[in-house]
Amino acid sequence: MKKIISLILLIVLVAGMQTGCGSTPQPDASGPITITIWHDKEEAVVTVLQKYLDTLEPEIQVVLENKSNLTEALKMVGNNPSAAPDMYFFAHDKIGVYAEMGILAPITDLIPEEELSLYMENTIVAATYKETIYQLPIYYETLLFIYNRLYMSDEVVPKTTEELYAYMEEKTRGGHYGFVEQHSTPYYAAGWINGYGGSILDADGEPKLNSEETIEALTYHKKFVDLMPGETEYATVNTLFREGMAHSTIAGPWLIPTIRDAGIDVGVAAMPIIDDTELPISPYMGVQGIQVLKYAAENKTEAVKSVLTLFLQEEIQVELALASGCAPAKEACYELDSIMSDEVVMAMKETAEHAIPMPNVPELDVMWTVVGNLLTDINMRGEDVSESATKAQNEALQLIENMQ
Amino acid sequence: MKKIVRRISLAILTVMMVVLTPQAVSAVEETRVAINVQVPEDWTNPCVWAWDTDGNNAFSAWPGGEMEANPSNDGWYYIWLPSWATHVIVNANEGSVQTDELILDGTNAWITITADGAEISYDAMTEGETPAYVEKFTIYAKVDETWENPSLWAWLAPDGTNAFESWPGAVIKAGETGWYSVKAPIWVNSIIINANEGTVQTADITIDPADVWVTVQADGTFDFSYTDPDQAAVPNITVSIMAPADWATPNLWAWSAPDGTNVYTTWPGEPLAEGENGWLTKEIPGWVNSIIVNGNEGTVQTTDIAIDTGVNTWIVVTGPDAFEVYYEEPVIEASAEVEETPVVVEEPVQEEVEVMEETPESSSSNLLLYIVGGVIVVALIAVAVVVINKKRNNK
Repeated sequence: MKKIISLILLIVLVAGMQTGCGSTPQPDASGPITITIWHDKEEAVVTVLQKYLDTLEPEIQVVLENKSNLTEALKMVGNNPSAAPDMYFFAHDKIGVYAEMGILAPITDLIPEEELSLYMENTIVAATYKETIYQLPIYYETLLFIYNRLYMSDEVVPKTTEELYAYMEEKTRGGHYGFVEQHSTPYYAAGWINGYGGSILDADGEPKLNSEETIEALTYHKKFVDLMPGETEYATVNTLFREGMAHSTIAGPWLIPTIRDAGIDVGVAAMPIIDDTELPISPYMGVQGIQVLKYAAENKTEAVKSVLTLFLQEEIQVELALASGCAPAKEACYELDSIMSDEVVMAMKETAEHAIPMPNVPELDVMWTVVGNLLTDINMRGEDVSESATKAQNEALQLIENMQ
Repeated sequence: MKKIVRRISLAILTVMMVVLTPQAVSAVEETRVAINVQVPEDWTNPCVWAWDTDGNNAFSAWPGGEMEANPSNDGWYYIWLPSWATHVIVNANEGSVQTDELILDGTNAWITITADGAEISYDAMTEGETPAYVEKFTIYAKVDETWENPSLWAWLAPDGTNAFESWPGAVIKAGETGWYSVKAPIWVNSIIINANEGTVQTADITIDPADVWVTVQADGTFDFSYTDPDQAAVPNITVSIMAPADWATPNLWAWSAPDGTNVYTTWPGEPLAEGENGWLTKEIPGWVNSIIVNGNEGTVQTTDIAIDTGVNTWIVVTGPDAFEVYYEEPVIEASAEVEETPVVVEEPVQEEVEVMEETPESSSSNLLLYIVGGVIVVALIAVAVVVINKKRNNK
């Protein structure tokens, strides 16, 4: 009988050893603790992060693992400590999904809450889900108003949307466009909707597609769409601007390096103010930062705290801004000459004053497709705005109900 | 304290706003060098063809960049070249006379061309400075036949700085393609095309400083385009489609990428007509290079299909992501019917929408768990059998 019990124990032990071979090594008092961070960032960002994380060695070894389809992978393995990372570096908008799954640890369990008072308020708002802060912000991104100074001099940059419309009417001729944007992509159209006081989804996860403000925004936006090309997916808009066929656009800071390489003298300016509301076009703001998985917070607490403490340093944020145009999340960075002299970063800071943190509730997941279809109906099919908005609202409500 | 913080914040914000009102992000500027050339008297309209050791050309077509007369040095012409273009050929008389290949050192150069050949000097051989580099763009014009010797008058509005010394401006040279052409400095934003010694003219034309094609009628009315209208004038083509049987009323959506010009104003485009040999057909402009085939009122569709411009095209669609493009009619066997495909609700491509996909890591991890679980279950069963047998034996 003893032999049999030994056999069973051996089998279980072998099995246990096998399951322990996931991507997250367990704490081991005799050697360094490994912290795995999933991310989806470009090389310039990773280089800066790794440089600082390496200072934690030899006690803590941090592995930055570029994970394709990171968010879906986390949904699959977030509850499996043997396959999940200890932390992930990503935008804030998925926080609600993972918080509802119960896989995230509140960041305030691991760092003093007063540290977060040094951050831009809207980055902390973005990091908060149901009054709990789940992300340590590092930097944020917003869309920018970008123009080709060969065509649009600094003096004539439109300050209001009506000035922009007049400019478009005058300059959209002969195959050139006064202004182009991805008008039927929800992320871009959201700036117009937010600027009208409307919303795709409110903070409680309630779709607002047929609100009076959203309908007014979509109706007003349509007259601008009529002066843009019909097809305005990412490649078209970027190519039009890069090849000098468009005077101005609204685009992310990631577009600027390629435009500079094309020899275009690029200007960045504040978003035009919508005449009706006296609010600027207010794009979504994405806050990039560190989230900690609950298992790591409970089982590698000290190592996780060390990593988070490292990320509290302003130097990392400044270096990221200089390396990759990332706008720092900490207020104090904007008092430094190196940041104040970076036009792109400062433009994002100004835009961020009015930008709306992207909702981080799980319901956002279903909204992209619904709003995409709504924009196609209005901008490309020419369908009635109110009817289309009501149809989309009902569809969104149904999809959200199906989620629950 | 809060007030102080607010005031500091306000001060920072004010500084920021000053910094931010509007800003230029400098472009990559190319280093240029001045190439000065003295040509024989019988060389007219000298040009320079230039390239580097890797074969990169400074100009898109022979005879290359036109040189300009140096107003302070008779017989001398100049051109500003990218400093990397160190291999040059100077030519003239519409490319009919030329030098051998000349290799420069990437700095300002003076070249003297005689019947005996060309000599290069890096010491100045002209008086004064070479006129500064000014980037230029080309204005092409096609005028009514009653308009003789057309000229370009160009200026910067509203300050009124003129590009040329006196009316009627720069002579526009006739080209082989039927278009007259002339260059203007890049700071110009207004032009007038005139002819017959300035006695006929267009109204003021406001343009962007980019290559532009202007068509002028006898009465002076005009139209312009920033793309060559002759290149755009591609004859219509016929697109023939074989769509899945369950795609009701297939439609065609067509456009030109990357400029985004659509053929149809509203999605899902226009229906295809019954053609021969089972094909559904539609005639579309020859400049189209991108299409989508869709059915069921646009609720099922292909991804973007890239096609060649100006040639008839046959496309066999077997699913949203499955299609074959042909430029000659393929032979479709009678038995080879296009299978039905599941209806897919249209989902515009968005960066934000992520595809549900199991990761290799999670997949392998799950597999491991199944194997381990299976081993444990088998072991437990084996133990149970052994224990039961032992008990029986003990009895």
